[in-house]
Amino acid sequence: MIPVGIEAMNVFGGIAYLDVESLAKHRKLDIQRFENLMMKEKTVALPYEDPVSFGVNAAKPIIDSLSDEEKNRIELLITGSESGIDFGKSMSTYIHDYLGLNRNCRLFELKNACYSGTAGFQMGINFILSQTSPGAKALVITSDISRFMINEGEEAAAKDWSFAEPSAGAGAIAMLIGESPCLFQADVGACGYYGYEVMDTCRPAPDSEAGDADLSLMSYLDCCEQSFMEYCNRVSNVDYRTTFDYLTFHTPFGGMVKGAHRNMMRKILKADASETETDFNRRVLPGLNYCQRVGNIMGGTVFLSLASTIDNGVFDMAKRIGCFSYGSGCCSEFYSGIVVPGGQQILKDLEINKQLNKRYQLSMDEYEALLSGSGAVKFGTKNAQLNFDLIPGISLSEQGKKRLFLEKINDYHRKYRWI
Amino acid sequence: MNKSDIFELIVQQTIHVIPELKNHTFQLEDKFKDIGANSLERTEILDLTLDSLSLQVSRVKIFGAKTIGELVEVLYEHAKE
Repeated sequence: MIPVGIEAMNVFGGIAYLDVESLAKHRKLDIQRFENLMMKEKTVALPYEDPVSFGVNAAKPIIDSLSDEEKNRIELLITGSESGIDFGKSMSTYIHDYLGLNRNCRLFELKNACYSGTAGFQMGINFILSQTSPGAKALVITSDISRFMINEGEEAAAKDWSFAEPSAGAGAIAMLIGESPCLFQADVGACGYYGYEVMDTCRPAPDSEAGDADLSLMSYLDCCEQSFMEYCNRVSNVDYRTTFDYLTFHTPFGGMVKGAHRNMMRKILKADASETETDFNRRVLPGLNYCQRVGNIMGGTVFLSLASTIDNGVFDMAKRIGCFSYGSGCCSEFYSGIVVPGGQQILKDLEINKQLNKRYQLSMDEYEALLSGSGAVKFGTKNAQLNFDLIPGISLSEQGKKRLFLEKINDYHRKYRWI
Repeated sequence: MNKSDIFELIVQQTIHVIPELKNHTFQLEDKFKDIGANSLERTEILDLTLDSLSLQVSRVKIFGAKTIGELVEVLYEHAKE
């Protein structure tokens, strides 16, 4: 069997963020034991950003590093999102255009809440394994934003956003999947998938979420156990303590992952509190770093955790990472792969942490103003002209690198500009 | 195990998860949210109680109990099976 996995990967965590504790205090949320939730910052999508611009900005450094020959072998471009901009036209069409890719390429979008990234990843893997086009590559991009809106006359505090607002972020992950997986080599066939119908959380209307957070947490935990059990049915001699050097999780917020890890350690290994805490700090915490800075980016969060693990972990030798993905509604999967020492350097060269540090910190007034103005680019907007000078503190031309931003919407057609 | 035992178990696990409640006078009508348990804590209390009862049941199947009394009822029914 040919090797397959991630050849290159990048995270785009936006250009602006909000401090989450400040937001929680501002909304007068009950924040007793707030630090247990393990939330720090959340990326905020500005009106001239959308899931297309996020996706292009994540993929651009990867594409720029390829030779023309390698770039022309991208024959599959999948976008995974629950923040789609059209019921028919996939975001992959726009992304394909702005990255200048070969037209002999399949373009489509996948959806199942926060599972979409894993869905795209596994489809990319299987495309390569099928060898129907030997040497071809797949570009899988997850891109999700949370655009909370206040309608005229309403108050933000009156909205029933509770902890959805502090944890919801914005971001995109781009992954080049191919036969030279120098970053993350997938363990082929080592996948435990588990899905069923449950009404935990959903997006029944554009730009708003609905559901029950408690039910979602319970479903997440049930799936964490069941998907891992199925993984063990397919892979021999699995030991939750020793098989995986790191564990990455779909991370709505850090505290939830801490709870899930604690549950697995207790249920599977009968581990006590002390071993669980030590294990969490060693195997799980490296993956939370970026998630705590960007927030929940839905379909891409498990890969944000993976990128964080690779960037912040120790890879003095090849190490196996176990990944748990969960999407409401629901579908889940436990899978794994190997990262070798050289792989970490490939990711470090993209300086993801430095990009996150460069983001502009929004004041609460600026954030509230953005909420009021979000309606200008809500789903279904036919015409709009975006103002690149909206936030005086943000200079788009001084971001350090060329980035794509949404300039206008003309008869529903989106036009972007490189700045 | 009878309902009273299950109630005591839930109280014990609630205090274990939220030590600040050790002096609270627990009642069947107590809503978990109202006594200060957030969603993570409510799930932890449930998990620890299920463990103590050696009950293997999907959390989603027993979802819905808002008060301690409601949780006692649903766990009692599953324990009987």
